[in-house]
Amino acid sequence: MTTVEKLKAILVKDLNLEELTPGDIDENAPLFGEGLGLDSLDAVELVVVVQKHFGIDIQNMDEAKAAFQSVRSLASYIEGRLSGG
Amino acid sequence: MTEARRPIDETEARWNGRTWSARSVGSRWQHRFFYTLIRLAGRRAAYVMAAFVALYYVLFRPSVRNRSRPYLSRRFPRRNALMRLLDSYRITIEIGEVLVDRASLGILGPGQLAVRHSRREELLVRIREGRGLILVTAHAGCWQFAMESLRVLETPVSLLLHREEGDVDLHIFEHRSDDAAFRVIDPAGPLGGTLEMLHVLKHGEVLCIMGDRRMGGDRSTVEVDFLGGRVRVPFTPYHLASATGAPVVVIFPYKSGPGNYSLQVANVIRVPEGLGRAPEAYRPYAESYIRALEGFVGEHPYQFFNFFDMWNQEPIR
Repeated sequence: MTTVEKLKAILVKDLNLEELTPGDIDENAPLFGEGLGLDSLDAVELVVVVQKHFGIDIQNMDEAKAAFQSVRSLASYIEGRLSGG
Repeated sequence: MTEARRPIDETEARWNGRTWSARSVGSRWQHRFFYTLIRLAGRRAAYVMAAFVALYYVLFRPSVRNRSRPYLSRRFPRRNALMRLLDSYRITIEIGEVLVDRASLGILGPGQLAVRHSRREELLVRIREGRGLILVTAHAGCWQFAMESLRVLETPVSLLLHREEGDVDLHIFEHRSDDAAFRVIDPAGPLGGTLEMLHVLKHGEVLCIMGDRRMGGDRSTVEVDFLGGRVRVPFTPYHLASATGAPVVVIFPYKSGPGNYSLQVANVIRVPEGLGRAPEAYRPYAESYIRALEGFVGEHPYQFFNFFDMWNQEPIR
């Protein structure tokens, strides 16, 4: 399973996106506002989710802003951190 | 891709739907008059003038008087008309003096007022835990002065504060050219300032949030009992605490005498980690805060400055 696929499954489950399946999520669509429609509460949960499932503690929120653009960008961020980037 | 789950511009919706305004009721020239008076004659002269202005507002500006009525009628439910007028005058004077104090600090500098920290060690112990500290306070006393006094903690302090567009009433730090004692995070900013708030806590710093006023849509609030009625208060502080493990300390600043303020540590709230995003999970902690606030307004009824009907707010979606 790729990081993108894993992330989609985690988002649906942990953020209770009940009306969506992982396959419904466009990995390039914005996570917030238009797109997946997440909001500020979900931003907090995203930080928690990344730590819980990938063991990555996001300390720098400027990085988080860039990473939280889309599922694709978040997956890239996670892969970069896991590879020591 | 299906339709978005919540296709809204959250920031825009929540700010358009507010039922309160942080903007001063005074005009620009009135504020400048007071600033000049403080420069030329000092704080006490401005108190005297504030007493007359308060009298004018209470007697001849019913719209201003009405702003304090929802709170005062619940805090003092058995008052007759005359007593209500006196209550209104008293709270208007109190906020007038607080505004004078605030301006004096900005214009004349620190040393004008003293602040006493009750249980300061409690705050230091919580900071030393290294998971950040969330201070939840209310629109009470001279809260900006209280924030300034947190310099003693020797840890950066950030405050969630929305600067009303066009407001002519200056904050303490806007009077001065030196650095503010605290950093401001705007809740009307991207994602409600959430990432900035997380950044503060992740770096072991202090984050201060008003717990008595909703700043987002109803989705970020829970309903609790306050002074015999239902109000909606934000659960953001407790959500952040659950996400980061930061302790929550409830503090209330109040004017304890001429030129003196106190910062009361009213409660320490521990929120379990991993509670998730369901509002109901945070109701007990919001209840704990609101009970502390009820205790505070019981002791200091004229130091709580929430001039809007928090018991009768339109839902914000």
